[in-house]
Amino acid sequence: MPQATGRADATRAVVFSPLDGAGRAELVEQRLTDAIVSGVLRDGERLPSESELARSLGVAVVTAREALVALRDKGLVHTKRGRDGGSFVTHDRDATTRMVDERVRSLSRIELRDLSLHYAAIAGMAAEIAADRASEDDLASLIEIDARADLATPGGARRAMGRFQLEIAAVSQSPRLVHEELRLQAEAGPLLWLCLREQDSRDRSRAARLEVIEAVRDVQPERARRATTDHIASAVEWLIDEKVRLEQAAAAPAATATARHPEGARP
Amino acid sequence: MSVDVDVTAEHITRRIASTIDPVFAMIEGWRDVLERELAGPYAGALTGDGEPTAERLDPVVAALVSGELDREGSLITGAGFVAAPGFLADAPWHLAWWLSGSNTFGPGSGLRRLSTVDDPDSEQFRDYTTLEWWRVPARTGTRHLTGPYVDYLCTDDYTVTITTPVRVAGEMVGLVGTDLYVARLEQVLLPVIRESGHPCTLVNASGRIVASTDARRPTGALLRLEGLSEALAPLRDAVTVTDAASLPGGEAVVPCGDTSLALVLEA
Repeated sequence: MPQATGRADATRAVVFSPLDGAGRAELVEQRLTDAIVSGVLRDGERLPSESELARSLGVAVVTAREALVALRDKGLVHTKRGRDGGSFVTHDRDATTRMVDERVRSLSRIELRDLSLHYAAIAGMAAEIAADRASEDDLASLIEIDARADLATPGGARRAMGRFQLEIAAVSQSPRLVHEELRLQAEAGPLLWLCLREQDSRDRSRAARLEVIEAVRDVQPERARRATTDHIASAVEWLIDEKVRLEQAAAAPAATATARHPEGARP
Repeated sequence: MSVDVDVTAEHITRRIASTIDPVFAMIEGWRDVLERELAGPYAGALTGDGEPTAERLDPVVAALVSGELDREGSLITGAGFVAAPGFLADAPWHLAWWLSGSNTFGPGSGLRRLSTVDDPDSEQFRDYTTLEWWRVPARTGTRHLTGPYVDYLCTDDYTVTITTPVRVAGEMVGLVGTDLYVARLEQVLLPVIRESGHPCTLVNASGRIVASTDARRPTGALLRLEGLSEALAPLRDAVTVTDAASLPGGEAVVPCGDTSLALVLEA
């Protein structure tokens, strides 16, 4: 009973909680950082102006400016003055790799699994409904997206993944699933699809896509869902393995130092 | 057991057609204005002589569509002209599309222009000639009703789009069209189809449900009935059918005028 009371209070409290939480500049900064380091925004690409950015993200102009300054400090964008001026993406491979690694290390396993679970709930349901609702035309456009996928680069594989998942959500005929898919692509995509750095994972992502396409063709909702959620589960497993590798690499110098002391050495 | 297509069914399909016919008539009126402007004795009356340009045509399109978009209680939420690639001298790819104040997409309120990416080299660019609302009227030469679909490229909502070709000397130089929210359409059509007293479902030419009296037949799902796809085939080719068909399962399929929609009355 006390628990039930607590629950009722919590649902009520949510109504009056801040709409977007604090730190909107950080949210904008994180969103753009993720897009740059994952290759969704390309090297040299011009970002929207401060006011355009503010309008499209629904934040104040000073918030957008603050985020751009932070990105400049991180070395992810540079600013040119004058008529052809603006903020441009700078994609420095080493710097971005370091930044992604730092992000993976800073999130706990629990957070990573929870994020992937949330994404699997959305993408899996979208695939299930899409398999039931796809017309011949819808199937053709899914096949087309797969055929155009560039699997030779991580960025190409990422973009193909994003497009395919978005199309699946659209085929489900649910505006809400489309919204959620887009939101989660921005939030979870850069982490979850880190595995696409490896050719092996890129080939597996293609195999998963073909499995979903076949399930849609044969109107097998359960199979479409399973193929989607299995793929996401294997992506998060790769990510957690990668996190372990990164943590071990960071701990390695210390371990070597300990090993030099005789008392630290095993017999 | 089969359903007799009685006077009631014919009456209902006529009322459905008469709900949508004014929208057809409206965009055909826009088409006539643009065709007169682009060729013949009155060519250039509004925009001046010379090659057609986006700069001169856009204000004409805006003037055509803004009245209905602004009208209180209007069914439409977006409208405009889309040029065939290469037709306009100053804009190889061009959408002159306006959104009404009731359109919840994007920033701002009131009548506003849809912003699009017209640079084919951009990552965001989408070749609109591959989309159903362009492809089908380009093939059949006549108007087409696309959807219901989630319009994630433009307005992010659950939409029906009606488009019809604009021709100069027999060549399609673009099309005019309009968007309707499916939710609004359902609101208007549901009371009409309820009058039959039969369980009945309104579908588009692909068998996708637009509205149904049966709660187990959700809008957006495909109505899967034996023989339905064959019965709807003429509607997909923009052939006007007036006769009702009966399906092996006893259902009756009654075309709604030349809207390309059909009413399915279940046994």
